[in-house]
Amino acid sequence: MKRLFATALVALALATSTAHATGIEAGVFGGLSIPIVQDDQKQGTTFGLRVPVKLVPLLTVEPFFASSAMGEAEEEIGGFTYTREGFDVTSFGANVLLTMGGPVSFYPFAGVGQTSLKRAGFDDSFTTFNGGLGIGISPAPKFSIHVRGELQAVVDGETSRKFGNATVGLHYALFSAP
Amino acid sequence: MKQFRFWASTLSLAALMSAGCFLVSGQFTVVFNFDTPITVSSPTAVFGQLIDLSTVDEYNDNKDKIDTVSDLALLGQFTNTGVATTVEVWMVASPGAPLTTDAAVRAAGTRIWGPMTLDNGATATIGWDQSAQLFVGRAELISEIKGDGEFALYALGTTGTYSFTIENGALVAVISAGQ
Repeated sequence: MKRLFATALVALALATSTAHATGIEAGVFGGLSIPIVQDDQKQGTTFGLRVPVKLVPLLTVEPFFASSAMGEAEEEIGGFTYTREGFDVTSFGANVLLTMGGPVSFYPFAGVGQTSLKRAGFDDSFTTFNGGLGIGISPAPKFSIHVRGELQAVVDGETSRKFGNATVGLHYALFSAP
Repeated sequence: MKQFRFWASTLSLAALMSAGCFLVSGQFTVVFNFDTPITVSSPTAVFGQLIDLSTVDEYNDNKDKIDTVSDLALLGQFTNTGVATTVEVWMVASPGAPLTTDAAVRAAGTRIWGPMTLDNGATATIGWDQSAQLFVGRAELISEIKGDGEFALYALGTTGTYSFTIENGALVAVISAGQ
């Protein structure tokens, strides 16, 4: 009996969550980008665009574009303080999100992309892996607010430059179908 | 469902383990301070700065784990005490006895940095961003840093006669080191 009740509860939850089984949204986001174990740059800002496409229940694919301006690092040498500008970081790629519907959703995501790092004397592109957790809240029909924490690893050989990104985004549902 | 959880956990663990090699890494700044001042009196009286990176803690801590060198700079205050010239820095990979002439350094070494214009009587403090753009022998220098970390640097002028000093000079390398 308990099992039947639990199954019914899960089925009800899934039915509610997949009320809109497919759909396309457009979103903007912004926040902080924090370099992790990188002596040569400091915290900066990030912003970007995403287009979550809900293909099937629970699964969303999300192409994204992001741009970050990292802060400059300082090094005191021989009584002088030298500064090194932070990277201009440009990324694009796609995330896969395990999403549940409803007014509040909590979802993990992971993705792959390409990241360009530019500053004086350096200009190169690298493969990037990223993943994290997000919370989506829908305060009004068609709109949702997304708060995400993400680890971005820009892979260079056997090492990587890692960034912790904390962002807030606003999504608008362009299209949805049951 | 149990099977799904098992495979999801196993795949996640495998992904983390395979990713571990590049996730457990960082970028560390290594600074080697030059003798100060360095005085270059003429093309026949140049001065070589011996570099031994094993004397720098950040280098020693990561020497066996260096994968690449992601940033380089030669910093310092350059003062021209002669005619207007441009300054280059040459590297001698296997420093033996100190070289004392411009010609000997050019014969034995590789140009890695410059030219940087230095007007008559001018003092220029070279910033990190400016310096990073003046490297022309990045690969050769990186090879030495990833190798034994011992080499010599010589600052040379490009005119027939020249003289200048370098104060508070330093070589800065940002090394990427992993597991």
